[in-house]
Amino acid sequence: MKIVGKTVPRKEGLDKVTGAAKYNDDIREPVAIVVADTEYQAQQAAYLINVEYEPLPVVRTPSQAIEEGAPLIHENLGHYGKEIDDVYPVPGTNIADHTKIRKGNMDKGWEESDVVVEGEYFMPKSDHIAMETRNVRVKIDPTGKVRVYSSTQSPHAIKAELALAFNLDEGDIIVTAPLVGGGFGGKAPVNLEFIAYIASRAVGGRLVRLANTREEDIATSPTKIGIEAKIKLGATKDGILKAAELRYLVDAGAYSDTAPRMAKTMASNGTGPYNIENVWCDSICLYTNNTYSTSFRGFGNIAHTFCMERTLDKLAKALNMSPFELRLKNAIGPGHTSATQVKITRSSVGDLEKCLHRLNELIDMERSLRVEEAKDKIIAKGMSCFWKTSASNTDAISGAILTFNKDGSINLICGVMEIGSGVKTGLAQILAERMNMEVDKIHVQMEVNTESSPKHWKTVASMSTFMAGRAVLAAADDAIRQLKDIGAMVMRVDPSQLEVGGQKVYMKSDPDNYVQFKDIVHGFKHQGGGNAVGGQIIGKGTYIMENLTILDLDTGKGRMGPAWTVGVQAVEVEYNTKEHTYKLLKAATVLDAGRVINPQAAKGVVMGGMSMGLSLGSREAFIYGRDGGILNSSLRTYKVMRFGEHPDYLVEFIETPAQNGPYGARGFGEHGILGMPAALANALSRATGLELDQVPINPELIWKMKTEALS
Amino acid sequence: MIPFDFEYYRPDSISQAVDLFMSLTRQAKKPMYYGGGTEIISMARANNIYTGGVIDIKGIPECNKFGYEGTDLVIGAATTLTKISDSNLFPMLGITVARIADHTIQGKITLGGNITGTIMYREASLPLLIADCRLSIAGPGGTREALLSQVFDRRIRLEEGEFITHFIIDSHITSLPFFHRKATKIDKIDYPLITVVALKKDNRILVGFSGLCDFPFRSLEMEDSLNQPGISKKDRIQNAMAYIPAPIVEDIHGSAMYRRFVLENILSDALEL
Repeated sequence: MKIVGKTVPRKEGLDKVTGAAKYNDDIREPVAIVVADTEYQAQQAAYLINVEYEPLPVVRTPSQAIEEGAPLIHENLGHYGKEIDDVYPVPGTNIADHTKIRKGNMDKGWEESDVVVEGEYFMPKSDHIAMETRNVRVKIDPTGKVRVYSSTQSPHAIKAELALAFNLDEGDIIVTAPLVGGGFGGKAPVNLEFIAYIASRAVGGRLVRLANTREEDIATSPTKIGIEAKIKLGATKDGILKAAELRYLVDAGAYSDTAPRMAKTMASNGTGPYNIENVWCDSICLYTNNTYSTSFRGFGNIAHTFCMERTLDKLAKALNMSPFELRLKNAIGPGHTSATQVKITRSSVGDLEKCLHRLNELIDMERSLRVEEAKDKIIAKGMSCFWKTSASNTDAISGAILTFNKDGSINLICGVMEIGSGVKTGLAQILAERMNMEVDKIHVQMEVNTESSPKHWKTVASMSTFMAGRAVLAAADDAIRQLKDIGAMVMRVDPSQLEVGGQKVYMKSDPDNYVQFKDIVHGFKHQGGGNAVGGQIIGKGTYIMENLTILDLDTGKGRMGPAWTVGVQAVEVEYNTKEHTYKLLKAATVLDAGRVINPQAAKGVVMGGMSMGLSLGSREAFIYGRDGGILNSSLRTYKVMRFGEHPDYLVEFIETPAQNGPYGARGFGEHGILGMPAALANALSRATGLELDQVPINPELIWKMKTEALS
Repeated sequence: MIPFDFEYYRPDSISQAVDLFMSLTRQAKKPMYYGGGTEIISMARANNIYTGGVIDIKGIPECNKFGYEGTDLVIGAATTLTKISDSNLFPMLGITVARIADHTIQGKITLGGNITGTIMYREASLPLLIADCRLSIAGPGGTREALLSQVFDRRIRLEEGEFITHFIIDSHITSLPFFHRKATKIDKIDYPLITVVALKKDNRILVGFSGLCDFPFRSLEMEDSLNQPGISKKDRIQNAMAYIPAPIVEDIHGSAMYRRFVLENILSDALEL
C-alpha cells in the first residue's frame, strides 16, 4: 500500500484540505483514503485499516471553548496563512474571530428604558440534508489539466481553492457542475474535491469518484452552525426600543470556513428589522471539536432572528402589549440606520409595515393569540419578523454571455448553479423581458463549466437573481446595441431609430419595417452576390458588488450587502396539555420581494424555506455522544419533516422595488426559513406558558420544563 | 453498497431450504434465512453483519399462506406488512404493522422478518404475544409447532437452522376489542418511544410493550396489576410499573423518565378498553 499523505504539500491554514483528525472529535473524520478499481474493493480495503486514536480533552460547546484554560483546538492559531481578509483569530485562544458593534450610547439607551428584558438562547448544529449527497469526480489529463466534476454551489471557488492548495495554475483546473440536487449552503465550501484530487494524483491521474453515503454526508461533511446567545433589550413603556445588548457565541467546529462570516452577519443584522439607536454586540466565533460549520440557508440570520424575536415576545409580555403592535411600532424604515450605521432607504429595506399589515389579514396577530379550544387542547399563535442581506466579499462578481442560434433564439450562459430555486428560469425571464421576446426562445445553459461559463462568485446568499440578473441585463443591452448596429446597416437608418422585440429589429416609426434576428445574428448576407456583413453577435454583461465595505474593527461600521429583504411570519399550533404533543396548523409568510419575477417559483422557494425552518424548530439537531461524535447520523434517526406533518402554508408578497435590483427584484431564496423557528417557539411558549428558548422543541422538552416548573 | 460477496438461493420447499442451510453451514458461509431483506441489506451495508449466503424463503408455499384454515387464521412468515394491513383479516396486527417503518418499506418487510430481526422494537410481536399465537417452525429436525410465548424470551429463540414458516392465530381473537398506540419522539414515522398494544379478552386486559425496555415483551405480572379489581386506575398503573422487567430505555429518542410519563398516559387510555 502506498501512503500518499506525506507527498502532498499542505498549506498552513488549510487544515481541512487533508484532514486533521486531532481537531475533530468525530471518529468518522476522514483520515485515510483508499483508491480501488471498484467501490466494493475500496470499501473492503478501508475495513483493513486500523486507526489508533489517542483521546484528548474535548471542547464541545462554544461556551466551553471561550473558558479560561480551555484546551486549544489550534495551537498555532495566528500563524496560519490568511484565507479571508477581515477575519482576525486571537492567538492563544479558541477565538476564530470577534465582531464588535458599538452604535449610539448604551448608558443613554438603558436610561431611557422603562422596561428591560433578558434571555439566553441555544440553537444546535444540524445538517443540510440535501437530497443529493455530496459527490465529486476528478481526473488529471496527461497534459496536466485537472478535470473536476462536482455537485457544487461554487464551481469557480473550487478552481481557485484547488489552485491555492496545491500550487496549480487556475487555468489548468476545469470544473464542470451539473444541475445540483439541492445544496442549502452545504455545497458552497470546497470539501471532497481536495481529497478526490489527491486520490487521482496518487493513481496517475485516473478518474476517481468520491461520493458520500448519507451517513458520511451527515457525520463528516460540514454542518450548520450552532450558537449560544444572550440578549438584553430595553424599551420605553410605550414599547419603543431604546437599547439592545447582544452576545453571540458561534460554534465554528474544528475549522473556520465561513463561520466567522456568519458570526459577522449575526452582529451586523442582529437587531432584526427594527430601529434601535443604541446597540452593543459581541459576536464571537469559536473553534470546538465538532464537525466544522459552513454556510446553511439563512447564513446565521436564523440564529439572531430566533434570539431577538423570542426576546421581543418577552418584552411584549412585560409591556402588556400585543406582539404585533410592538413589532409594528419599531419596524425599521427610511431615515433610520442599521446596527452597522448604514442609512436606511425605502429602496434598501422595503416595507416591513406593509408586510405586517398583510400578515395580520392572513393570521390575526392582535386577537385570539391563545385559545383553550377543548379539554387538553390549546390553539396558539406566534410571529417573527426577519431581514437579511448578503454577506458576500466586497468584490463579488457575476457575468453573463449571450450567444445566438441561427434561428434567432438565444443561449444564456452564466456561472450560477441551479440548485433547485429555479434561478435560471428567472434569469431567462429577465432576459426575455429586456429583449421583449418569448421566454421559450431562450435556452439556458444548465451545466456550468469554469472554462466557458463566466465567473459567478458562488451560488449563495440569495444573490443569484440579483447579481446575475444585473449581468444578464447588461448582456442584453450589449446584444441589443449590436443588433441595432447591424439592423441599421441592413435597413439603412441610424441605430437610434430602431427598436428590438419579438426576435426582430424594427423601425420605431414603422414596426412593419423590420429585419429578423435569424437573418442577422450570424451576420447578414446580402441578396445576390452573397457578400456578408456584421458577423456573429455575442452579448456580454458583468456585475460587481457596489459600495460594500468590511466592518470597522472597533465599531462594526460598514455595509455588508446591497439591499435587505424583510418579511414577517406566523405559526399557529395546537397543543395537547396532557401529553405535551403539538400539531402545526398554519404557517404564513409575507415578504417584500421588491419585484416577483416568477410567482409560482417564488411561492415554492419561500414555502420550502418555511418547511425547513419548522423542521429546525421542531426536530433537527445533531446529538453528540460522550465520545465518538454524532449519534444520529442516518435518516433513521436524523429526522426531517415529512408529508403529512406540514401545516397549511400561506405565502404572500409585497413589492417595494430595490432600485439597484433587476426590475426592482430583491433576493429571497433563503428567507422563508428565517423566522420559522422563532415563530414556532413563540407560539409554543404562548401555548405552554413556558419560555422555550432553544430548539428543537419536542414534546419531551416541554414535558421536562413543565416538570421542572412544578417542582 | 454491500462490500462483500454472498450467494443467493430461493428454494421452493422447506426441505430444500433446510438442506441449503446445512450445506452452507458446512462450508462455513454463515447462512441466513432471508425474507424482505430490509434488515439484512441495511446491516450489511453498514458492515454490521456478514453472511456468505442467503436463503430466500419467499418461494416456499408454507411461508406464503394467508387466510383461514378451519378456525385458525394462518399467516406465512413471508407475508409483507402491507398485505397484512391491507387485508384487515386481523385488525390489531394490521394497525400495529402499518406503523412500522414507512409505507414503502412495509411492502418489503415480512412478518417473520420483523419478529426475528435484531432491531430492538419488533413491534409485530406485540399483537401475536397477546393473541397467544402459535408458530410452525421448520428445521433440520423436521417441522414442529410451538406457542410463541414458549420460544419468545425478549427475542425469538430458535435452534440452529430453524425458521418460522407461518403463524397460527385462533380466529375468534381477531374480532376482540383492542388498543394500539405508538408514541414517538415527534415524527409519525420513527422508531417507537413506546408502543403499547392491548387486547380485551374474557374481561381481562392483555398488554404488550415495545420501546420501553430494549426488547419487546408481554408481562403477566404487569397484566395482573393492571387487571387488579377494587383499586383505582392510577394505582393499578403505578403497581404495574413496578414490574417492568428491565431498565427503561434511555437513548436519543427519549429519557427513561420521559418514557415513564408517556407510558402512564398510554396505559391510562388503554385501560379504558
